[in-house]
Amino acid sequence: MLIRNARFLAGVFLVCLSACANPPQTRLVLDSPPATLPRHAELTEVPYFSQEAFQCGPATLAMSLNASGFAVTTEALKHELYLPDLHGSLQVEMFAAARRHGAIAYQLAPDLNDVLYEIAAGTPVIVLQNLAFSWKPVWHYAVAIGYDIDSGEIILRSGSEQRKILSMRTFEYTWARSDYWVMVSMPPGQIPKTADETSYVAAISAAEKTIDTVSALTAYDAAAKRWPGNLTAQIGIGNAAYKLHDLGQAERAYRQAAHDHPDSVAAFNNLAQTLSDQGRYEEALDAARHAVSLGGSLSTTAQETLSEIERKKNRNSNALQIPVQE
Amino acid sequence: MTQQYSRFMRWTSRVVILSMLALALPQQSAFAVMVDTEQVISHELAGQDRVKIMAFLDREDVLAQLQQHGVTAGDAKARVNALSDDEVHKIAGKLDQLPAGGTDVIGVLLFVFIVLLITDILGFTKVFPFTRSVNK
Repeated sequence: MLIRNARFLAGVFLVCLSACANPPQTRLVLDSPPATLPRHAELTEVPYFSQEAFQCGPATLAMSLNASGFAVTTEALKHELYLPDLHGSLQVEMFAAARRHGAIAYQLAPDLNDVLYEIAAGTPVIVLQNLAFSWKPVWHYAVAIGYDIDSGEIILRSGSEQRKILSMRTFEYTWARSDYWVMVSMPPGQIPKTADETSYVAAISAAEKTIDTVSALTAYDAAAKRWPGNLTAQIGIGNAAYKLHDLGQAERAYRQAAHDHPDSVAAFNNLAQTLSDQGRYEEALDAARHAVSLGGSLSTTAQETLSEIERKKNRNSNALQIPVQE
Repeated sequence: MTQQYSRFMRWTSRVVILSMLALALPQQSAFAVMVDTEQVISHELAGQDRVKIMAFLDREDVLAQLQQHGVTAGDAKARVNALSDDEVHKIAGKLDQLPAGGTDVIGVLLFVFIVLLITDILGFTKVFPFTRSVNK
């Protein structure tokens, strides 16, 4: 009897131990917080929009967008985001809707540290939580706007609560069930503090179709300043300038890209096209021939550019001969 | 009268010539064959994926399993290098779903094996000596 009781007590003790211990990311942050991370931060100026039933997607995105300077209402986002049958909004559509309103939508790394760093840098972050169980999920978007390492708490704009305080431990448990999904929406030109080079430039590229060309140029420009030599950013600057008919700036961007990445077909192909548009056919042909010689998956495009420039050059020299015949 | 008429014709023809030229101008840029950033970034992302897979193949538990199946890390890496950007992306996606401890390592290795088997059969790669390309 005594032995059975002891076993029972030990079992209870073990269950309690594992339940009371902090989950891994919380433990890491609370036990050894990075020296550069402030111990406390709260973004009190982030607006709060209370949500109607199941409207956490539109409400959280509206808060995030407004904090970034985009005036958008929950109501407007409802039509772009909310799926009545699902009683909710899909993650991919959160990105798409943010882009439609001119922001660069970026998914942060699944890391609590990064979430706290972004808040400390002044950026509210949208998190996806599963408030119930993996087998009976209750999905919920919230905006994390503050934290306190000393008390181990995180502050959210969540549902009907303007300032919901959760222990980091509970937050991590509910957040982990969404595979730590977390996004920010920021104006072009402002890069999240914890952004990864390739992923962030990919986020600009994804937004390029919906935001205006001047904004795309601003975004790529900022990326090229933060990560000098990034090929996509250089090509992005060139392409945006080209679309804006600023052939001089486009040429400079492509030349820089070709200099930093001598094996980039994109750099030489686009440079060739830009030179050809300026009537500098000899230089254009040099660049186009180089692009073709590089081969790879873009070789068909490079070949097309080369043929087109040759055709244009011939047409032009024929046109020049007409006055002589007169 | 005829003089007036011809002056009218002269001006009309000038306007028509100019507007035809203006029409032709935007068409010039329609011929442009530019590479867009999406094409550039997909290649860069594939590069990142390749690095991820290589790092995975360097893990000790993975090396051990590879050895068990009689494959050296060098062989496996040569196979990854033979993969297209698209295939690399698929495998890296599988890796992302792995728990850090790697309980499902065998499953991923099998996936790599199957992808390569298929690409071998289609004649895109030649990794396994026992496959015969359909093109042959």
